[in-house]
Amino acid sequence: MWITMGPQHPMTHGLWTLRVKVDGETVVDTEAELGYIHRGVEKIAEARDFTQVTPYCDRLCYVSAMTWANSYIYAAEDLLEVDVPERAEYIRLISAEIQRLASHLMWLGAFGPDIGNLTLMTWCMRDREMFLDLLQELGGSRMHYNYPRIGGVKRDLPVGFADRARAKVKLFEQRIKEYEMMLDESTIWLVRLQGVGYSRAEDMVNSGVSGPNVRAAGVNYDVRWAHPYSVYDQVDWEPAVEKPTSVKGADCYDRYRVRMEEMVQSCKMVLDALDKIPGGANTHYSTGDEMILTKAPTRAPEGATGFSNYECTRGASQFYIQGGGDGRGKNPYRLSIRSPMFITIPYVAKTMIGYKVADIPAIMGSFDPCIGETDR
Amino acid sequence: MDDKYDLRSLFLGEDSLVHDLVTSGLEGTPLEDSSSNIAFGLGTFAVVNIVFLLLFFSQFAILWIERKAVARMNDRRGATTALRSLWVGENGVTGGEWWNMLPFGLGRPVGAVNKWLNKKFGNRSEEFETVDRVNNRSWMGLSILPGFFQNVADGMKFLIKEHMVPRRADKLIFEVSPFLIVSTTLIILGMIPLSSGMYATNPDLSILYIIAIFGIAPIGVFFAGWASNNKYTLIGGIRSAAQLTAYEIPLLLTLLAVAMLSGTFNIIDSIHFQHTAGAWNLFLMPLGAALFLITMIAEVERVPFDMPEAEAELVEGWWTEYGGMRFGMLFMAEYIRTYAACFLFTHFFLGGWHLPFQGTIGQIPYLGDAYLLIPGALVVLIKAWLVFLIVFVWARFSLARIRTDQILEFGWRMLLPLAVLQVVLAALYRLYLFDVEGMSDTVAGGSAWEAFGIPFFIPALTTILWLSIFFLLLNDTGKNEREERMYHVQTVQPAGTHTPGQD
Repeated sequence: MWITMGPQHPMTHGLWTLRVKVDGETVVDTEAELGYIHRGVEKIAEARDFTQVTPYCDRLCYVSAMTWANSYIYAAEDLLEVDVPERAEYIRLISAEIQRLASHLMWLGAFGPDIGNLTLMTWCMRDREMFLDLLQELGGSRMHYNYPRIGGVKRDLPVGFADRARAKVKLFEQRIKEYEMMLDESTIWLVRLQGVGYSRAEDMVNSGVSGPNVRAAGVNYDVRWAHPYSVYDQVDWEPAVEKPTSVKGADCYDRYRVRMEEMVQSCKMVLDALDKIPGGANTHYSTGDEMILTKAPTRAPEGATGFSNYECTRGASQFYIQGGGDGRGKNPYRLSIRSPMFITIPYVAKTMIGYKVADIPAIMGSFDPCIGETDR
Repeated sequence: MDDKYDLRSLFLGEDSLVHDLVTSGLEGTPLEDSSSNIAFGLGTFAVVNIVFLLLFFSQFAILWIERKAVARMNDRRGATTALRSLWVGENGVTGGEWWNMLPFGLGRPVGAVNKWLNKKFGNRSEEFETVDRVNNRSWMGLSILPGFFQNVADGMKFLIKEHMVPRRADKLIFEVSPFLIVSTTLIILGMIPLSSGMYATNPDLSILYIIAIFGIAPIGVFFAGWASNNKYTLIGGIRSAAQLTAYEIPLLLTLLAVAMLSGTFNIIDSIHFQHTAGAWNLFLMPLGAALFLITMIAEVERVPFDMPEAEAELVEGWWTEYGGMRFGMLFMAEYIRTYAACFLFTHFFLGGWHLPFQGTIGQIPYLGDAYLLIPGALVVLIKAWLVFLIVFVWARFSLARIRTDQILEFGWRMLLPLAVLQVVLAALYRLYLFDVEGMSDTVAGGSAWEAFGIPFFIPALTTILWLSIFFLLLNDTGKNEREERMYHVQTVQPAGTHTPGQD
């Protein structure tokens, strides 16, 4: 019997269809259908200035807008050959890591109801709100910030931001322990996640899966650590890599653990970066000050290319820009986006085979799908 | 010991007001001969209605406990709806104006009161931290039963919604199954005594009867799942049928243990037994109490055993195609079943209408008399609410949902042997540890579980034994250090052997 889960289904976390062939409760075959919300961001970008593309990149994934905008910005800076002030890099790191916390909380809050634990949803939304408030102070809105600029950031950290961020991050470090008390010590949580959704490291690497999902299988590949961009080599942190207990690879529990540990690392990074930021976290430079923004050229010559490899919250996101488009090089000639989830979702659909129908949300949720970036 | 407040004798006794009125009213008429029958009929009608209304409307308390009070605590004063949401919505916008939907302008006075309340108390205190997102829904700074009437508003919403039957559904079965579920659920309430003098009916084998009635609704669930012509409902209905045997048999065995220990299949007699023998069943069979709660949670399909309506993968399981008031009735039926489970736990294990330490405190002059004046029905209700709050709501808010194959394994491999063990233990307790001489139906209660001259020796020892076992299991720290994971899926093609890209 084929069951069509989606496009409107609680399991999908977005807008896509998973067609499942079941034999009783056992999944025999799956098929993923993507493309429901293709917006053509790559094509739209060809008719926009380099600065005008940033808001579109925000909307690639509303759960982690800041990291996607940053990812584009690094490619544009590579293309336009801009040197970014170190303070701006620190601010970008802080904002990206706060966004990673908010994104992982959104994942956990959606993952809990997948397994049947609705309390997790309310708790995660409560804590995510703290970080959205912080990001709102930077960008002015809760979801789509349009905060990074080519050559720096839009604004400096607001007055008092550092104290609020430290207080909230420290509070959250305590609350992670609360989550673990509720989840890791519950046998039901363990039996639903352990031994479910095995995916081997080599299969995932061959398929192109990246980010927390491969780190859960023991692959120590984090773009922030392997190819440090920004100032990730200056702050104190370690990539969260889970050591899977089975030769079959990582199960849902490993993927859950690796994201929890990544949240701890992000907290550590935010606190450390706030201490190390050049110029001090409590000073406020006015908008456009050379401490936070370098003047960038608006045109790129034909033949020039820019590339960024960025650790987004769901994996390695890559941007490739070619200069020399319309308006004598004002627009990109071609923008290409590599989304980690576009590669992961079809892979995940195949790993479900052999498990039960009840495991589908657990497996799919543990890979943290985001359809906005998948369909672009 | 009987409850002081005897509703049945008030309406049904030979010298009751109903009896007097009917006999005097029918004197000299042709119906004079059957006047006592008519008085009995009227009295029974009154008693049944009073008991039913008490049970039915007190059910709103548990709805409130779970969906408002605890949800609010759970959210730590976050965005939850509350009492004032009926009249004050977000930023002064009234919540739905449901009073305007009532026919003939019946709701106008409510609207006027609401307007006045808005003017007088709306958006006043801003001392709570969440006030910038959600208005402070307290009333003059006090939060009294916030959100209690939300359920009424929800019910009205259900009433005005359209009823739809899916295309190519089996229409007859689709319409019949909600009634099957709801009617059998309401019948359960008829068997539940509120106290020794406040019950609708009391058959000799009421324990058996209740369990039989409880077992009918899953058939309705299966019907509903099949008749809806939807794959999700089909899987939900089949899941319900599959897990039925896994928990029903342990449940029956646990109740058999209760019946063996108290020597009766009657609920009221088993409550009497707990007082006359001297200890509540909870302290004599903690294992049975735990088994009863686990199987009852499965029986009423709540988290962690709500696979038939697992909303993550099955949308809403077997309810998916029901809308409008049929959904409302099914929803209400689920809560009534839960409520009935709380009552049954109260009656079988927590001594029914008997107060804690009733025998000891009841013997103290004056204070004891005052203590015994507390109505038994109130005690039962409070105990049932506490059972709901402490067990059912807590489990729902802190646990995840387990899988169908896991509940089958859990039911057959763990619950069933433990239930058999409990039956054996109950037989042993009754045969060898029980002292019939010690039973007494006085205020002081009996001391049938006395041993070695120490009162309550056997209940105390049993409780301590099982509590220590529980703590030993709880502190099993080796759980996380084991190399291999605890549970694995067992399928034809073993999970994890599949290689993406090759199939």
